[in-house]
Amino acid sequence: MEDYPEELRTPPISLVSVVGCPELHQTISSFLHAEQPPINTLALPDFSKISVLSRKQKDPLSSSHSAAGILKRDWLSKHRTRVPAAVAALFRVDCVTGDPAQWLQVCTDLENLKAVLHGRGIKLIVILVQTYANEDVNEDLKITLRKRAEIDAKYLMMLVQDDTPELKQSLTRLSSTLAELCNTYYREEGRKIRIRIEKRSFSSVELNIRYCFKVAVFAEFRRDWAEALRFYEEAYRALREMIATSTRLPPVQRLVEIRAVAEQLFFKISTLLLHGGKVEEAIAWFNRHFNSYKHLVGLDEVSFLHWDWLSRQFLVFAELLETSSAAIPNTLSSHFGTPESSLTEWEIQPAYYYQLAANYLREKRYCLDNLLSTGDSEFSRTSGKVPESVMPSVFIGQSARLVEQGDMIEVLPLSDAEYVQYALSEAQRFQDSYEIIALFRKACESFTNLKAPRLASLCSNRMAKEYFFTEDFTDAKKLFDTVSSLYRQEGWVTLLWESLGYLQECSIRLDSAKDFIEYSLEMASLPIFANGDQEIPDSKREYGPAGLPSQSRREALQSEVLSLVRGEEIVSRTDRGCSIAVTKEQPVRIDVDIISPLRMVLLVSVAFHDQSVKPGSPVMFTLSLVSQLPCSIEVDELEIEFNQPKCNFIIINAVEEISAARSNGDNQDVRIETAPSIVLPTNKWLRLTYDVKSDQSGKLECLSVTARIGKSFKICCQAESPASMEDLPFWKFEGMVQTFPTKDPVLSFSGQKVIQVEEPDPEVDLILNASSPALVGESFVVPLTVIPRGHEVYSGELKINLVDARGGGLLMSPRETDPFSSGNHHVELISISRMGDDDESRIHSDKIKKIQQSFGVVSVPDLRVGDKWSCKLEIKWHKPKSVMLYASLGYSPNSAEAARVNVHRSLQIEGKIPISITHTFMMPFRREPLLLSKVKSLPGADQNVYLALNETSILIVTARNSSEVPLRVKSMMIQSNSNKNETPYSIQHVGGVSADDSLLVPGGEFKGVFSVRPKIDSPNLELGSVCLNWNRDLTLSDSEDSGVVTEQKLPAVIVEQSPLVVSLEFPPHAILGIPFLFYIKVSNQTNLLQEIKYSLGDTQSFVFCGPHDNAGFILPKMEYVMSYKLVPLCSGSQQLPQATITSLRYSAALNPSVTATTIFVYPSEPNFFVADNEKETILAKLNL
Amino acid sequence: MIACVAVVGHQNNPLYLQSFTGADDALKLHHIVHCSLDVIDERVNNPKRSVITLNESYLGLLYPTESYKVYGYLSNTKVKFLVVTTDLDVKDTDIRSFFRRFHAAYVDAVSNPFHVPGKKIISRIFAARVSGIVKAFAPGTYG
Repeated sequence: MEDYPEELRTPPISLVSVVGCPELHQTISSFLHAEQPPINTLALPDFSKISVLSRKQKDPLSSSHSAAGILKRDWLSKHRTRVPAAVAALFRVDCVTGDPAQWLQVCTDLENLKAVLHGRGIKLIVILVQTYANEDVNEDLKITLRKRAEIDAKYLMMLVQDDTPELKQSLTRLSSTLAELCNTYYREEGRKIRIRIEKRSFSSVELNIRYCFKVAVFAEFRRDWAEALRFYEEAYRALREMIATSTRLPPVQRLVEIRAVAEQLFFKISTLLLHGGKVEEAIAWFNRHFNSYKHLVGLDEVSFLHWDWLSRQFLVFAELLETSSAAIPNTLSSHFGTPESSLTEWEIQPAYYYQLAANYLREKRYCLDNLLSTGDSEFSRTSGKVPESVMPSVFIGQSARLVEQGDMIEVLPLSDAEYVQYALSEAQRFQDSYEIIALFRKACESFTNLKAPRLASLCSNRMAKEYFFTEDFTDAKKLFDTVSSLYRQEGWVTLLWESLGYLQECSIRLDSAKDFIEYSLEMASLPIFANGDQEIPDSKREYGPAGLPSQSRREALQSEVLSLVRGEEIVSRTDRGCSIAVTKEQPVRIDVDIISPLRMVLLVSVAFHDQSVKPGSPVMFTLSLVSQLPCSIEVDELEIEFNQPKCNFIIINAVEEISAARSNGDNQDVRIETAPSIVLPTNKWLRLTYDVKSDQSGKLECLSVTARIGKSFKICCQAESPASMEDLPFWKFEGMVQTFPTKDPVLSFSGQKVIQVEEPDPEVDLILNASSPALVGESFVVPLTVIPRGHEVYSGELKINLVDARGGGLLMSPRETDPFSSGNHHVELISISRMGDDDESRIHSDKIKKIQQSFGVVSVPDLRVGDKWSCKLEIKWHKPKSVMLYASLGYSPNSAEAARVNVHRSLQIEGKIPISITHTFMMPFRREPLLLSKVKSLPGADQNVYLALNETSILIVTARNSSEVPLRVKSMMIQSNSNKNETPYSIQHVGGVSADDSLLVPGGEFKGVFSVRPKIDSPNLELGSVCLNWNRDLTLSDSEDSGVVTEQKLPAVIVEQSPLVVSLEFPPHAILGIPFLFYIKVSNQTNLLQEIKYSLGDTQSFVFCGPHDNAGFILPKMEYVMSYKLVPLCSGSQQLPQATITSLRYSAALNPSVTATTIFVYPSEPNFFVADNEKETILAKLNL
Repeated sequence: MIACVAVVGHQNNPLYLQSFTGADDALKLHHIVHCSLDVIDERVNNPKRSVITLNESYLGLLYPTESYKVYGYLSNTKVKFLVVTTDLDVKDTDIRSFFRRFHAAYVDAVSNPFHVPGKKIISRIFAARVSGIVKAFAPGTYG
């Protein structure tokens, strides 16, 4: 498209001319150009230059009567740059109103201008330029001027130069007038020519076409796109009719001209359609255009011109589509392939046309090459020399020759022969290949972006062929490689064959024997069975160097490769000077992995007959090979490689001499087996079974099998297990009989190339012992003993692992914050120490490599049979948990670095809580302080403990042995959290069982009694924690341990001042019939007067004197005493009369508890006779 | 005239490809059929496709080359049928009925118990039947 002249590529723009007043030209022309639609300006500084507007002397060649051509080359540019539609003559007002000489000059200029414009329809407009708005022009003068110029009143305009708003207004007026005049001019010009068409007043078809073209262009000037399109189409149609009828030019040039004009017309049509958004119509037009001209090849000698032209059509249309892609509606894609639309997806894509442009350019290159290579064409014989000074003539699509004759330069037409020579020489100047590659690349990239990989690879394929043609083998090979991978993936054998043929040739030219062998072997093993023996002459062009795919070609390829690897040379098919060879100095080795296409050439499946084996015992091993090459292939040697190099072995073809193989120095320690013959027939498994023995425990895997053919060629295949073998590429689509790599079908389905070589049995005892469950808090000791029985232990390593017995693995919980250990481990491995002497244990503890909280590694010294080594594992439980203890000992049975043997032991150990601690708070006997918040709180709503300020309370702590082993309590104490001097309470151990190593049997309890006296009023008083120091009754370790401290925090208590304290006082016992005193004392601890009511109920057991109900006032800080005298009437344990004390201020009533108001009544005065020491015991018991 | 018919499997691998031109243009036809698979992919994977084509196995005109037109058909089992014609003006109904016959022939061929699904169709009877359908094909033959 860039080759087209500017005036053809862009829509025409109206042209006007301004004459005179050059200082205004810049303003006017830029204003007009910025208008919509724009107007171009041809500015002439003064009236002496108006001759450029005058009609030129007619060129004799271009006379409209002779019709020597269809379209003139410069007609479009003439109307764009030289022939204005209107002329604006600018005069200054002072020139018109000035002296007569100036007026006369104005008249002369006007006359001259009119003479130039005469008969051409160009419109005239006169502009009077004022410097200032206030300059006034006489109306009479205006009329005179108008008459001189022969124009209407509206075409005489005023322009005020210096007044910006006024100037802008004038310019707007001017531009609209000019636009109107242009429109009129182009319409009139168009109509004039259209009349000629309608009257058919033309002498030839050429003129008809020319007229149509002109009408269309004038319509385009007026932006009448519909009419423009109609006449372009008409011109195109007329041109098409001309093909068979015209005889004006020699046949070759005639066709060239028609094609050139058709190209231009079609370009205009498709531009108009595409810019109008009519994509489907444009594409339909393109197809019509292509179909009309595709068979007009012309003579063989100039067929390349046809292909060149055709390619250009596609290229230009592609570029047009690309530039107007914004105009393509999105809805278009919704109905491709349906009856409503004959379009398909790719037809709206420029890439499709780029690709076809490249295809035709390739055709052109092919024709041109053919023509040049034969060199005996009629034209070259007859004409011989290329004519000189050939140039394009005035008509589109024609060429002429310039001949100098003295001073005269004459333009002469060319004969066809001369033209062909000229065209040939021109065509040779271009490097078509680069253009073809560029076009294909463009198409390929777009198709890749459009997710059309197959079209993209077709383009890549063509591109690669072009690189091959230009002998750029590296690039060609790269492209062919990518293309062939797609064909391989989708199994398109024929397409792959073609690409591989090129690749084969590329590798010869790049001197790579390895690549050549790979490509040849792949081709030879493709599933092609056609019997295409006869070579069709065109098949080389079609299929490239590989030729027609056939069974015989495959066989030929195989024998070619085999002769190459046995030392023969291979010569390139395209260049006889190029060859490759495989020599001893440069051996070739091909690696075949599980994704390689060369698996078709050699597929190796290996299977062990067992899944595991003891070290040193042999196991059966089957090696199966298959090849899809068309003829049988004989292998000289097979080398089997394992991950344990000691197991490697070689299989030699018995025909080969063993000594030849032995002579190879590297292979001296390698086991050598012989096979009667290693021949692989087509698609038939060759099965070889041997014993393999391994001394090393672990995995034994067959890695690869290398086949040697000839002296310097090896093909190394990755070994595959029959159980997990992929299908062969290509062959999996062929309907072949299914074959198995091993005779045993079970092995074919389950056989593996890996076998597990087991460890030798351990002959060492590892003993783990734990006598009882572990207790939380103590360092639990587990003894571990290693006793060699049959093996000696060298470089032993003991690994200890603690795992949660209930699963879950980790012995910690990330959520719980555990105050006992920093690492949140519930169970912790503390140390591993040698049992016995302390010094020794230190030495050994140095050897501990690593201890983590649940994992430890320790080295074990070398041990002979009969020795014994033991150690202690110290483990601490922070939480009751059941734990699996795993111990594994790894050692070498002999001092040399040989296979290691592992012994594993495990032991489950329960972790238990040894002691549970509970506590209770109590008030002193028969003393009740009134605690207001306790009264207010709902019963059972909270479990808070309320204590009265400055009153003594009793705390009883009970420790219970919840384990199954007897424990000894060493001490129990309350430990304050805060500083001892500033305790907000006093706490004292007042009683309980002596804590001197008291034995606590399972289930037994230990009690401690403490008195607590809070000293401050606090809603949250911390009382510290109970610390119980204990140890096992029978300690596990020999050393004296200081005992385990179990600590339990006491809950916070609420301390408050009690306003009233009630205490009951009466003797510990009474005697029947003898009166005693019963006091109820209420102490007011506030600074307020307190009113109380009290009552005492009647009972059958007592009579009493004193008020039944009464009330009283207690002064601040005073005590109120109610005294009753009671006489017991019954003996035994008796309930005192029910007393109720009510505080009116606090609305609180106290009913003393039953235990507090119980008294024992003796029938008579008792007499006790007890020894002194027993008395103490009884007293102590009573205290409890 | 029909230049070529093809059956293409799930992995876009050719199951059957037969040229009827007599000339040795197999490679060209292979390329054309292979490239047409792009259009099938596009039509099948594009969710914007109109409902008519989604419900129908006939995919319509796939790919016009300079001298051929390619039509496509997709079976329920996602086996692709393609036909390459040299007639540039063929009625849709003709092509549709051709595909129906072609599909029926394919179904019969793969119903053979000795045929392994996914492998190339090597049945001679299938080949003869297809070439019969192709020979009988002429624009306007079928309603």
